[in-house]
Amino acid sequence: MNSIRVFLVVVILAVIALFSFLAALRGYQSSMLEAERLFDKQLLDTARLIANIHTEHTARNIGSEASLAFQVWRGDRLVAGSRNAPERPIAPFGHGFDYANFGGYRWRTAGYLDPGSGNWILVADRADLRYALAENVILESLTPTLIGLPVVGVLIWFIVTGGLRPLRTLARELGARQADDLSPLAIAAPKKELEQIVTSTNGLLQRLETALLRERQFASDAAHELRTPIAALKLEVYNLARDPGTDAGLVRELERTVERLGHIVEQILDLYRSSPDRYNAAFERLDLDGLAREVVAEMFDAFEHKQQVIELDGAPCPVLGDRFALRTLLQNLLGNANKYTPAGGRILVSVARNGDNARLVVEDSGPGIPEDQRTTVFERFYRIGRDRHPSGETGCGLGLAIVKRLVELHRGSIRVGSSRFAGGAAFTVSLPAAEANAAAPRERATERGR
Amino acid sequence: MRILLVEDDRSITQALERALRTQGYSVNTVADGGSALLAIEADRPDFVVLDLGLPDMDGLDVLKTIRGRDVELPVLLLTARAGVDDKVAGLDCGADDYLAKPFEMSELFARLRVMERRLTTARTAEITIGAVTLDINHNRVTVDGEAVELARREFMLLKSLMENAGRVQTRDTLENRLYSWGEEVSSNALEVHVHHLRKKLGASFIKTVRGVGYRIDSA
Repeated sequence: MNSIRVFLVVVILAVIALFSFLAALRGYQSSMLEAERLFDKQLLDTARLIANIHTEHTARNIGSEASLAFQVWRGDRLVAGSRNAPERPIAPFGHGFDYANFGGYRWRTAGYLDPGSGNWILVADRADLRYALAENVILESLTPTLIGLPVVGVLIWFIVTGGLRPLRTLARELGARQADDLSPLAIAAPKKELEQIVTSTNGLLQRLETALLRERQFASDAAHELRTPIAALKLEVYNLARDPGTDAGLVRELERTVERLGHIVEQILDLYRSSPDRYNAAFERLDLDGLAREVVAEMFDAFEHKQQVIELDGAPCPVLGDRFALRTLLQNLLGNANKYTPAGGRILVSVARNGDNARLVVEDSGPGIPEDQRTTVFERFYRIGRDRHPSGETGCGLGLAIVKRLVELHRGSIRVGSSRFAGGAAFTVSLPAAEANAAAPRERATERGR
Repeated sequence: MRILLVEDDRSITQALERALRTQGYSVNTVADGGSALLAIEADRPDFVVLDLGLPDMDGLDVLKTIRGRDVELPVLLLTARAGVDDKVAGLDCGADDYLAKPFEMSELFARLRVMERRLTTARTAEITIGAVTLDINHNRVTVDGEAVELARREFMLLKSLMENAGRVQTRDTLENRLYSWGEEVSSNALEVHVHHLRKKLGASFIKTVRGVGYRIDSA
């Protein structure tokens, strides 16, 4: 039985039925006893009555009601009797009650020695009639219980349902949670029985949050620890490259390796930071268009370095999001475009409002993404052509996984298709747009970033 | 130009020192906040490159102390903490610029050049890039020595671009500089100013990054 409600209803009903039955049984027994005493007394009275009205001339075989039989014996001679009584004594000669079978029925018998005449009066009445009467009484007392049981069942069903409501509220509260929501359960004044569950659950959530915080702290510490040596490595390579005695090819190889190392560390840290709980609290109203401009401006040198033409086609597009997350998203998409588009290529970024969505498209004139890899490309550590990407670029295959995760955090979607430039890739990100009102007059905050 | 490098990681210090010397900077190195403050008093460096993670005190506190004594001294923050909040906190404490580790050497040189230019500008009140010289105190611009008349906003725009030469300035940033808060800006106002500037300074002096903003090359 999987439902507490069904269990409670069935068990309570069973208990009620059992007790009603026991009460009925007890009533049956006591009323039977009472009836027996009453009937026995009546039987004895009848015997006395017969003794008093009996004379020497009373004929034998006088008529008698079918439910009553009697005999009058003097010594061992039957002097009178009812027609339904047999010739033999219907009861032992002695005071007291007994049972006997004759005439096809079972009878309750009584013996009475008339002290005046010395005659034995034996009387009997039908036992089955006595029982029929008692059964009638008991059946009538049981009827309301039998009819009432289903009604009681329905009532119990509703009462139990009502009683379990706090449990369902709790279940709903837990069920409706985002996977990343570790805030304590907000159940005001929980029932005593639920208090323990709510307290324990909140304790668990708290411990989980502490653990997550500690891990994030670890990530940030690791960032510091890893970034500094990588920075040192970069500087050494830079100095090495300027040393006239070194092999230029070797240095270039070294540069690329360090670059890749740094890239992997950054991506892993981004991935760590993109754990959902990092962002929920920090959502603010942002202009996707302005953010795109900011990131393109910061990354401009990388595009210029490859003589790529980057253009932005933007319209004001407010979204609710996390500044750091959306910047990371843009940096990754633009970084990929920069990396995989050959020198002299084109990159077009468009930001536009599309119904209820803000739509960001990053298109390039690079080699594009084959149709059969357009889903797998978002998987972690997936790289087209493994480590032999036609562009010769090295990456770690985390960039798009991070982008996808960040898009999901903002309840948006991302897909990849073909760009307007022959063969290139086009990444389309849709994010729910914030209301268009108060189109945030030029954001001052961006200025602090200069 | 004399740079005070405040960094506790020896491998970075050594490599950075060498790289900066090749660029003609003279470098003095200290490894903690206390020595940094003493060195600033004693040596009067032109710039401070300050790492935020120091053994004895928080880099931001060092920065605040520096600002308490000398408002002008340019400070570039170096840090392994790269969040936006860290950046904002650093700039709010009075840093002139901010660079996250690991950084490109060329990026550091570019930032230093910008700071250097600002410093020269502050001293001489003049910025010269190519044929164009901008005199801040007298609101005057010359091209090859010939004075050019600029409207007030054109001058502000040119100043903003020249001060940050080598870096793309977004439309948002430029509009913020040119117009006061809440002032209605027509969508093509910036284009119009740039158009006028190009007519006066030559078509190729200001580069357009379409949809993003403008830039003047640093050299």
